[in-house]
Amino acid sequence: MGFTVKELEKGVAVVRVEGRLNMTTAGGLRDLVASAVAEGNVRVVVDLAAVEFIDSSGLGALINGLKTARQAGGDLRIASPNDQVKLVLSLTNVEKVLPPYESVDVAYAND
Amino acid sequence: MSPTPMTDPVRHTIAMSAPPDDVNTVHALLVEVWADAPAVSTMDRVCFETALIELASNVISHAGDGSGIQCLLTVDVFDDHVEARLSDSGEPGDLQLTPRAMPDELSESGRGIPLIQALVNEVEYAREGSLNQWRISRNFRS
Repeated sequence: MGFTVKELEKGVAVVRVEGRLNMTTAGGLRDLVASAVAEGNVRVVVDLAAVEFIDSSGLGALINGLKTARQAGGDLRIASPNDQVKLVLSLTNVEKVLPPYESVDVAYAND
Repeated sequence: MSPTPMTDPVRHTIAMSAPPDDVNTVHALLVEVWADAPAVSTMDRVCFETALIELASNVISHAGDGSGIQCLLTVDVFDDHVEARLSDSGEPGDLQLTPRAMPDELSESGRGIPLIQALVNEVEYAREGSLNQWRISRNFRS
């Protein structure tokens, strides 16, 4: 399990998550997104390509990050979820506020 | 024609102590379960695993006084369903198991139990002596 952060362009941070996004790792994601936003990268993409599993704790961290980014005038978007993540997003209706993008590159392509 | 007798389930059991055990211990057990039950479909595995991790998270995070929690988890794979029984030494469960609605999309919590209910066919809870007894069961899609 791990996180990496890079600046895609000025004001846009990509947070890449690897492994399982559950109660043991959700706090780390929350902190990382808050730091990125505090540093001025108010538009965040969470790259889920290497996430094998998510639970409701992980969803809570994503929604926390979404609120943090929006409060700073930005947004948080998610990219490349696997089928398990898509299932959980759908069953919980969270896909309405966090629609998945096909890749990091297209997450803000039309903004 | 008499019904086909049910074969013995494929059974895996683990005793956990949290901490240091956590939900990743449950994931590790399920790797062994699925290796021994290759006929279970990907969809059934994903749904059951997601439900069981939600249950284990709930139990571990409501462990009570901070002194840790002891759990015994048994997963049985039958011909037509998979079930888990989890007993834990935590405080009595205060969970409402009547069908629960998903919280608002922007809520950061409250999805665990409704998500379990959406993923499995049966969810049961009982307090027996000093233990919480949980059971979840998912019927395989034919």
